[in-house]
Order: sequence, then C-alpha cells, then structure tokens
Amino acid sequence: MSTTDLHVDLIRTLSMMVVITSVITVEVRRLRLSSVMYGIQALLIVALLLSFAAVNPALYWWAGTALITKAVLIPWFLFRYIGKTQETELRPLIGFGPSVVVAAVLMIGFFRLTHSYVDLLAHAELAQEEVFRTNLAVASTVFVVGLYAVLTRRDAVKTVIGLCLLENGVHLSLVSLAPEVSETALFGIATEVVVTVFLLLYVIHGVYLRFGTTDTLRLSELRG
Amino acid sequence: MSEPLSQVSSSLPAVAFLVPLVAGALVLLGGGLGPAFGRRVSLVASLIVAIIGMVMVGVVTQDTVLTTWGNELRVDGLSALLVVAIGVIGFLTVVYSLRYTDRTEFRKRVGVGRVENRLSLYHALLLWFLGTMVWGCVTNNIIMLWVAVEATTLTSGLLVAFFWDRRALEAGYKYLMLLTIGITFALFGCVLIYACAAAVGQLDGRQALLISEVRNVASLLPPSTALLAVAFLLIGFGTKAGIAPFHPWLPDAHAEAPTPVSVLLSGVMIKMALYALARTVGMFFPSWPQITVFVVVLGSFTMVLGIIMALNQDDLKRLLAYSSVSQIGYVLAGVGLGTYLGCFGGLFHLLNHAIFKALLFMCAGAVIYATGLRQISELGGLARKMPVTSVCFVIGALAISGFPPFNGFWSKLTVYLALATSGLWWAAVIAVLTSVLTMVALLRPAYRVFWANPGASVTGHGEVRTVPASMWVPMVVLAAACVLLGIVPHLAYPLLEQAATALAALGR
Repeated sequence: MSTTDLHVDLIRTLSMMVVITSVITVEVRRLRLSSVMYGIQALLIVALLLSFAAVNPALYWWAGTALITKAVLIPWFLFRYIGKTQETELRPLIGFGPSVVVAAVLMIGFFRLTHSYVDLLAHAELAQEEVFRTNLAVASTVFVVGLYAVLTRRDAVKTVIGLCLLENGVHLSLVSLAPEVSETALFGIATEVVVTVFLLLYVIHGVYLRFGTTDTLRLSELRG
Repeated sequence: MSEPLSQVSSSLPAVAFLVPLVAGALVLLGGGLGPAFGRRVSLVASLIVAIIGMVMVGVVTQDTVLTTWGNELRVDGLSALLVVAIGVIGFLTVVYSLRYTDRTEFRKRVGVGRVENRLSLYHALLLWFLGTMVWGCVTNNIIMLWVAVEATTLTSGLLVAFFWDRRALEAGYKYLMLLTIGITFALFGCVLIYACAAAVGQLDGRQALLISEVRNVASLLPPSTALLAVAFLLIGFGTKAGIAPFHPWLPDAHAEAPTPVSVLLSGVMIKMALYALARTVGMFFPSWPQITVFVVVLGSFTMVLGIIMALNQDDLKRLLAYSSVSQIGYVLAGVGLGTYLGCFGGLFHLLNHAIFKALLFMCAGAVIYATGLRQISELGGLARKMPVTSVCFVIGALAISGFPPFNGFWSKLTVYLALATSGLWWAAVIAVLTSVLTMVALLRPAYRVFWANPGASVTGHGEVRTVPASMWVPMVVLAAACVLLGIVPHLAYPLLEQAATALAALGR
C-alpha cells in the first residue's frame, strides 16, 4: 500500500473543511441550517473516504454507507423533527461570542496536539504518514467539538447534532485506525447511529409534546 | 491452571441470539393476531434461550469452548455464565410480565385504546433486548461487541420510555442520550485496541478483531495507546454498567421503566456491560497491574456512593436502583483485581446479584401491582395480605446484604478475602461497611412496607389486589435459588471456576 498516489492536497483541504463545518454546525443557532451544515460535513466526509479509497478499496463501502446514513437519512430525520418542534435552538449555556472562541481554541489546540503526538493514538506505520496524521487529528478534533456541543447545549435537538459530530469523529478515525474492519462491522456501526438518532428524536418529540419544550434543563421530574 | 480447553464448532451460540431476534420480529409482524400471540412467542423464545444457556453451561464445564463461524462467536465459561443468567432471568421476566401488564394502572398509563398494539411492541422489544444481550456475550469480535452493547441500549430505550408520560420520557431521553455518548468513547477504545493489535504484526487484519487472539498480544501493545484505550473503555462500558461517577442515568431508567424491564436492566443488562468491560480492559492487567488498583478504587467509590444515595430514597424502585449501583461496585472491585480469587468472587456476586436484584424488583412490582403505590412512606402493614411477597423480599434483602445462609454471603466473603489477600485492606473494609449499610437500606423499607403499622397511610384503607401465580412463582423460584446457592454454594463452582479462569489474568 503506498500513499504516493493519494491526492494529499485534496485530502488536506477536505479535512480542514470538515473541521470548519463542525464548528459552524455547533455555533449556528437555526436548527435547520445546522442540519444542513451537518449534511455538508457528511458529504465532505464521503469525499474524504473516496479519496482515501485509492489505497484501500474497502473504503468504497464505507463511503457508500456514510453517504446514505450521514448525508441522507440523518439530515432527513432532523428536518422532519425540527418541523414538529421549534426552529431555533434555545439559548446555549455559553453565549455565541465566548462559544466561538472556546470552539476555535479547542479546535486549533486539539488539532495541533493530536497532529504532533499521533503515536499516542496509533502506532501503525501507516498512521505516521502525513495524510493519516491529518486524518487522525481531524477525527479527534471533530470528536472534541462534538463533545463540547453535547456538554454545553441545553437544547435537546442540538445535543443530538453534537452527538452526531461525536460519532463522525470516531468514524473518521476508522480510516487510519481500522482499514481492514469487515463490512458487517462497518454496517453495524453505521446503522447503529441512524437508529440512535431516530430513537432520540422520537423520544424528544414526546418530550416536546409533554413538557412543551426541548430544554433539557427543564427535565427535572426525577430527582434525588 | 486447568487442562487446555478443547474447541468445538457449534451453531448453539448463533442460535442463542438469533432465536429471540427472529421471534421479536415475528411478534411485531403478527401484531394483528392479538395479544396472546406475542405472549406465546416470547414465552417460547425466552425459554429456548434459557435452555440453550443451560446446555452451554453443561458443555463449558467439560473444559470445552464453543465456537461458531470461524471463532467469530466464542462461548467459554464466562460467556456461558452470562448467557444462562440472561436466559433464565429473561424467561422468568417474561412469565412475570404476562399478568403484570394486565394491571389497571398499567393499562391506564399506556393508554387504554392503544394497549394491545403497545403490548406487542413491548414483547418484541423485550425479545430483542434479550437477543442483543446474548449476542454481546457470545461474540468474540471486539467491534461487534461494541455494536451489541449499543444495540442493547437501543432496544431497551423505548422500553424505558414505555409509558410515554413525563417521567418516563425524561428517563428515556437521559438513558438514550447519556448511554450513547458514553458508548461512543468505548467505540474509540475498541478501535484503538484493534488498530494497535493489527500493528503489532503477529496477527492479520481479521485476527486482530478477535478478542481471544488480541488477548495473547496485549502485552505487546504500546503502553500509551493501551492506557488511552483503557480510559475510553472504562468511560464507555462503565457508563453502561452504572459505575460511579457515570451512573446518573441508572436510578431514573431503572425506576421509571415498567417493572419487568427494571428486572432485566438491573438484573442482567448492567452485568452484560460489566462483562464487556472485563473482557476488554481485563486483557491489559498482566502488563499494567496498576490499572487494577485504579479499577478497585472506582469499584469502592461506586459501592459507597450507591448505598449512600439508596439510604434516603422514599421510592421503592429508586432505592433498589441505587442499591444496584452499589452492588455493581462489588462486582467491579472483585473482577478488577484480576486475580483468580477476585474474579471468582466478582463473578459469583454477578450471578447472585442477578438473582436477588431480579427478585427484589419483582417484589417491588408485586407491591405496585397490589396497591398501585411505590412510595415507601405511603405503604405499610402489607405482610398479612401479601405473605409470599414479604418473605421473598426479606430473603432478597438479607441475601443482598451478605447475610448467611444466603448466596450473597459467600460471594461477598470471597470478594472481601480477595481484596484482603491482594493487600487492599482499605477496600475490604469499605466493602464490609457498605454491606452493613446495605442491610440498613433494605431492611428498613422492608419493615416499613410489610410490617409497620399502616397508620394514616393509604394502604391502611385501600384494597390490596391478589398477586397472580404467574407473578409470585418466578419470585419463589428466585428466592429458592438464593437459599439453595447459600446452603450449597458449590453447585455453582464448576461454572464459576471456568469463568474465573477465562478472565483471571494475574497469578492465582
């Protein structure tokens, strides 16, 4: 397997755009727009997978499943449910200005950290090569941005979007870390996310009908 | 060590999880055939799982390992222990729910018009829940293990929110959200282990997915990555197992779910997550024994926190849920030691806790069935009207407190001894003190609910419904198991020896 035939520049550009879209997805407060950004990120991921597939044909499968699950099904579910609940995200715990700063610091800091200390994550020789270093750094950065969203957003739908980012991060890392995982395993991982998002939105819709809000801080029937 | 294990190819492991999965689909498709159809199918399917579990126990105690699809599925002593627990508790739970779901309050909460449809969904989800749990315990593929653990969350999520009112929805949302976030960390951990194992160079890409193969090369994995993976796995599977500080979802979900579901959640699901944790993290114990101390600290913290929270609960089911947190701490402390004695004690406690926590939740369910109440302060003096339930509850409470001659005594004693012989005296002391608190936490409500003067409480005046046989028979079976394993604990030893040998990584 050689990486010389990879379009290194293309992969870099796509990777940067994946990171940027994840920050926008988190920061945009209009939920539909946020879902659109998520969909765009999914398409970028598919493109990334396709450009890596030159050295690992198994990734064609992964790209196909990612296209269906992340770029089609999940945004579709999000759109359907946003129509039934409110359009705009409830005010997050951290305001827009500080949040952008925090997200940017997280993004840059984490990217540099994982890019320089990639051997912490993977010892495979493959992972030491530049493109895969970039891939792992992007994967962990998207993961951290997703985690940040999950922890600081009070709107349930936005938390779900954060969760999707979290999953995207892990899935991206599979490119470098687990190139030989079987199709069934990939299929399992991909389906699981779709079902999770579907169930969560289904339950959130129930919450919205009963509580009149998707504010997770107002879910306080159970205490002690 | 015992004799080398012989491997036998068998389709049993696959059948064990495919039967409930297919049966669940049948129940959903046949929803129009009326509620009796769903009940019959789930009775038969869960009975098959229980029988397969027992057959597996019979096979693995003959020093044999069952494998399917080229080692993709693998049943050793440890897997068989979990499968038989899931199968038997699952079957008893299905029997228990036959009439539990007839309760007027239950039907009212579900919505009277929709109850038939919802009940076939209930049975289908229950079967899928069982199937995915069994799948997780028989798979040997580290990625599939993760998929199965996450699948148990998805199949049980709607069961937790089954009543679809404010409390149930809040619990269901928290359950799905927190567990999914947690479990995503575990996926990262599993992928890291796989990537490192593949990079070592001794295994090819497919073998590096198999837990039984990775175990052999675990010591060759680079320490920094291994520790990172262990941290991710502890967060991920630890959340699912209800280990403090990742436990906040547990009391909500276990208390708000319909009682038969609580039986499964507390009785077997958290054990299945602990199994996943032990399988994956346990393989690093020989190379990095420091991890064991950290895991024991986590276990002790979980024991204490759980029981302290349980002490001031007024809701009977919430109290039992917090006590589950505490008890899973014992299992974690034992298994986390990594020694043979520790694993033996931890796994014995895992089995025992499955029995008596299922029993206690069934008793709580019987009280709810009979009175429609679950606040301890509103209940009282039920012993005369519910003699079977009260005796069963007390047996469960004594067993969970580690009181002789019940089964909990032996497993807790083994855990204390294992902690002490490993030099972790402080942990042994914490474990003993927690047991005393457990007795207080459970016997006090037992006295209040069954014997105390009802006084002004509601049950003093309200009528008490008779608990049907399909509910008390499973309770009596479980109570008898508590007593039997307490008087003749060596009945379980052959299986536990196999299971502990499969898991124990440090010297005996």
